[in-house]
Amino acid sequence: MMTWLFAPVPKARVAALRTLTYAFVIFDLFVYDSWIRDRGAVPSTLYQPLLIARTLHLPEPSNSLVHWVFWLLLIAAVGALVTRGHPVFAWPVFVLYLEMLLVRMSYGKVDHDRFAFLVLLAVLPTVGAARHGDRTPSQRAGWALRVVQLAVVATYFLSSWAKLRYGGPGWATGSVLARAFLRKGGGIADLLATVPVIMIGSQIGIMCFELLSPVVFLLPRRWRYAAVGFFYSFHAMSFWLISISFAPHLVALGAFLPLENTRQLARRLRRRRGTETSPEPAGQVAATTSAAVVRIPDQVGSRSGVVVDDS
Amino acid sequence: MTVRLNNRTRLDSEQPTDESATTTASAKSEWRWGRASRVIRVAVTLVVAATLLAGTMWGSDDDFPLGPFRMFAGVNAPNEPAPDPRVEAVDATGVTVVLNEHNAGLRRAEVEDNENTYVAHPERLSLIADAYHARNPKAPLLDRVTLIQRWHEIRHSAATGHWRDEPLAVWVRPS
Repeated sequence: MMTWLFAPVPKARVAALRTLTYAFVIFDLFVYDSWIRDRGAVPSTLYQPLLIARTLHLPEPSNSLVHWVFWLLLIAAVGALVTRGHPVFAWPVFVLYLEMLLVRMSYGKVDHDRFAFLVLLAVLPTVGAARHGDRTPSQRAGWALRVVQLAVVATYFLSSWAKLRYGGPGWATGSVLARAFLRKGGGIADLLATVPVIMIGSQIGIMCFELLSPVVFLLPRRWRYAAVGFFYSFHAMSFWLISISFAPHLVALGAFLPLENTRQLARRLRRRRGTETSPEPAGQVAATTSAAVVRIPDQVGSRSGVVVDDS
Repeated sequence: MTVRLNNRTRLDSEQPTDESATTTASAKSEWRWGRASRVIRVAVTLVVAATLLAGTMWGSDDDFPLGPFRMFAGVNAPNEPAPDPRVEAVDATGVTVVLNEHNAGLRRAEVEDNENTYVAHPERLSLIADAYHARNPKAPLLDRVTLIQRWHEIRHSAATGHWRDEPLAVWVRPS
């Protein structure tokens, strides 16, 4: 179990995910949830502080508080981005993002699309130095990515648990999906909502997929990537039909992917398209092979070998 | 050959190289921060997992972020009409505005979760109007705010295409 929890991954993998994460925080502030900046204008009568806010005696969101949190979070996220996740910036990002979520969720509606992303923000400061292109295996990075993977799968599995708790087995044959399609859909969603077999079939499918999601940890590498691809396609479909994207969760889902290979993949694609005609400079090749001491195909524990990358 | 990262993890490489020695040194140096850090990580993982599990089984939204993941977890019978609420306002120029998180800072679901309060105390709709004016100070005054429920008819878990609107609460600006 310990070996599995701390299975080493290349530092470059967590470096890539780190860049994606802090870039998303900035995107979140300006685009994805930009409306949150105006929360301070909502009368405090409508504020319903959550347990954590009450326990910590956090102040009610006011215009000035929300703006302070916004700008401090922006500065911290940019700082974390340019300093390769230095803890001086990375920890405040986690704390301020949590505060931003509390402001978001304290008016009567709590979402669960951010749990894995919040875990990701919490573990990134613990990874230590990790540079892009550095393929040195790291158990600290391995633990960080593993707990994010666990959080991602928990989001699926425990939401099916919640469905059984609040809706019971009847959830699968109820009308929750038709309701969601009517309220948030439009166009093709409105058409699909009129077909009972699609609605009930989709509900049964969602329940099965969520209950079976932990199986992703047991799958061999290729099948695991296929499962992660299915997770992404499920959210793409949800976004297309009812405009629910789970975008922060999708960033956390990247913990399953060999993101350190992104540059090589892009290079290979460019070659295939014929846009890259000149060979790679010799110096760059030397730098790559000296830095890339070991290539770990994936985070699979001690049963899988580490392959020396002498290509 | 064998690359020993620490006393727990053994990784095998295909062929011996000088680089593997570098790997060993690097991995060993990573654990200079000691066994305690690893124990802390395991403990934090277990505590968070246990709390999340307890929150899922017995908790509520109030326990965020370790409460139950209950988006779309409600039970809706196969023939139960689907409510689709909206907050509509009419301003001083007679224009109708739908109030939402983008112009008033409140999401539809947040209004819906407090629906009974708005029905019991329609004057609370003025708070949404206030939020709208705070965000849009140059906009014409909202004279009337209505919480409207659209009921979509559902049969056999699917929509029939029929619906009706029902005003649940109305607030009119005192003249």
